[in-house]
Amino acid sequence: MDYNELIKTRDESLAHLRRIHGDDAETMIADARYGFISGLMKDVLEKPLVEKVTVTDRIDRLMLNRWLGIPLFLLILFGVFQFTFSASTPLINWITQGMDWLAGQAAVISPAWLSSLLSDGIIGGVGAVLSFIPIIFLLYIAMSVLEDTGYLARAAFVMDRLMHRLGLHGRSFVTLMLGFGCTVAAIMSSRTIENPKDRLATILVTPLMSCGGRLPIYVFLAAAFFTAYQGLVVFAMYAIGVILAILLAWLFRKKLLPGESGHFVMELPPYRLPTITGVLAHAWEHGKAFLTRAGTLIFGAVIIIWFLNYFDVLESIGRAIAPVFSPAGFGQWQAAVALIFGVLAKETVVGTFGTLFAGAEGAAGFGAVLSAQLGWTPLIAFAFMAMVLLYIPCVATLGIIRKETGSWKWTFFAFGYTLVLGWLVATLIYQIGSLFV
Amino acid sequence: MEKKRLTIALAGNPNSGKTTVFNNMTGTRQRVGNWPGVTVEKKEGNLTFKKRNIKVVDLPGVYSLTAYSLDEVIARNYIVDEKPDVVVDVVDASSLERNLYLTVQLLEMKTSLVIALNMMDVAESRNYRIDVAGLSELLGAPVVPMVAARNQGTEELLQTIIDAAEGSIRVKGINLHYGHDVEEEIEKLEKSISGSALAGSYSPRWLAVKLLEEDKEIEQKVGQA
Repeated sequence: MDYNELIKTRDESLAHLRRIHGDDAETMIADARYGFISGLMKDVLEKPLVEKVTVTDRIDRLMLNRWLGIPLFLLILFGVFQFTFSASTPLINWITQGMDWLAGQAAVISPAWLSSLLSDGIIGGVGAVLSFIPIIFLLYIAMSVLEDTGYLARAAFVMDRLMHRLGLHGRSFVTLMLGFGCTVAAIMSSRTIENPKDRLATILVTPLMSCGGRLPIYVFLAAAFFTAYQGLVVFAMYAIGVILAILLAWLFRKKLLPGESGHFVMELPPYRLPTITGVLAHAWEHGKAFLTRAGTLIFGAVIIIWFLNYFDVLESIGRAIAPVFSPAGFGQWQAAVALIFGVLAKETVVGTFGTLFAGAEGAAGFGAVLSAQLGWTPLIAFAFMAMVLLYIPCVATLGIIRKETGSWKWTFFAFGYTLVLGWLVATLIYQIGSLFV
Repeated sequence: MEKKRLTIALAGNPNSGKTTVFNNMTGTRQRVGNWPGVTVEKKEGNLTFKKRNIKVVDLPGVYSLTAYSLDEVIARNYIVDEKPDVVVDVVDASSLERNLYLTVQLLEMKTSLVIALNMMDVAESRNYRIDVAGLSELLGAPVVPMVAARNQGTEELLQTIIDAAEGSIRVKGINLHYGHDVEEEIEKLEKSISGSALAGSYSPRWLAVKLLEEDKEIEQKVGQA
């Protein structure tokens, strides 16, 4: 029997059922299943007359409270960052000192070019990135705890109403939250979003969330330029990312991908005490990826940067592009070079500065060098951080966008719109800020 | 005794403890890859139990087997196309009712099903009393109570899987009745389907139900056959 005929028979059946029951066959079939189950339950399950209030119920009464839910969520998020920063600072200082010592040892090696490659290029560049290992690991540990306890699902639940008002799925919020860890993993998680348009909009804006790879740049520049308000500055970056992600998702959904948002049940798994091995395994998984990048991609990039710089080519490459960024305040060739290589992996921006300004000691040292040689002010540093946050997703992210959307068009779109957005926001920050500072 | 190789698939809702059951069964002998053509993670493991080599395939955690999400399509295609010897459905005993929706759908597919009734401790702490034997009888499939988090019940589960695979336990399943009117239409469609090329690998009744559910993926498959 041929396909069209079969579908025709089926459509007649559907029409017939709809006529006599006023319902889709799908609903009737699901009802049959539910009916079977509820009958079965009466036979085999005996529940206490008054259900015990579970610990989960009790915690949820607070966490999902209409008025307290969102403030509590923000508080928990702030706690996570506070923990990550304060616990990692001493560790980062130790590693930095170790790297300085290593660079000192390498400085006496001859010939001079090898000494420069080792101390400026590799130790200065890769070392600058590696010194952020503690904060990356702690961030991932905190993120795993949020996820494994079941809190992340609650965060999505309390944000659900707001998300729906913006025409989005509550589940999109889970993906965005996971973007604080790694954009690639977050985008992969978007497949739980059933509505294809919701899913695409979510994929397109997830790169605006501050992932672990951006964190080194924030910490590096905040320590160099904002001694007193470091935590607040970094938190501001996270906030800019979240706000723009939600706004743009709404815009894309409205203008590019119009249509109804899917209805769904927000699953609330019971709270679980996360296991130490589970949390460490998750943190290690992401941390390992960070280490691998430092050892391969970033290692390769800083050698190329050192090489191009040693033979005076780097400057002319940077100068060709730098004027584009003048309106945003960071129109120096070093910044342009850092941004170019940052597309490989965002932490390469720090590696580039580490190589180009090798010899600067500690955060204060870098602050002084960047002010003296590039004329950077805290305002420019802030605009640059916003640029790094928003502009072009890293290569791995572009790859996963291509894979998950199956479309080069949307991949190029993500590439292009983030670049324009980053430039616009950085320029606005610098221009408006200049009026006040 | 001859060595036989069995393939079993692990199905279950998210948060039913499916991964823990998988880890208990396979230990460190796991392999992680992707499902063909998609970036959804596929985990496989191997173990030997009572001289049988058993391959365990961890299906994505799903609530249902519709065509609405990629995970559900992957899970169901694996069962239909690869025909594992036994499908193990990990069920959270503390939310039995919700978990059974998937169980029923697995039984509709006429799989050789073994139910791992997990988290019995949580159910007990809430004073739920589950008649395990009755559940097994009504579902027509063996039910193994367990607490995977404490690695309790793994041996019994493996034994039951072997028994089901080798026929010493018969999994007779259920005959879900969808109501008189729906059944009439199913019968009509079944007749049309049984002549088609798909009838070999799919049960005509299951195909008919899926067509009535307006399952886009099945429609496509029917179109290609």
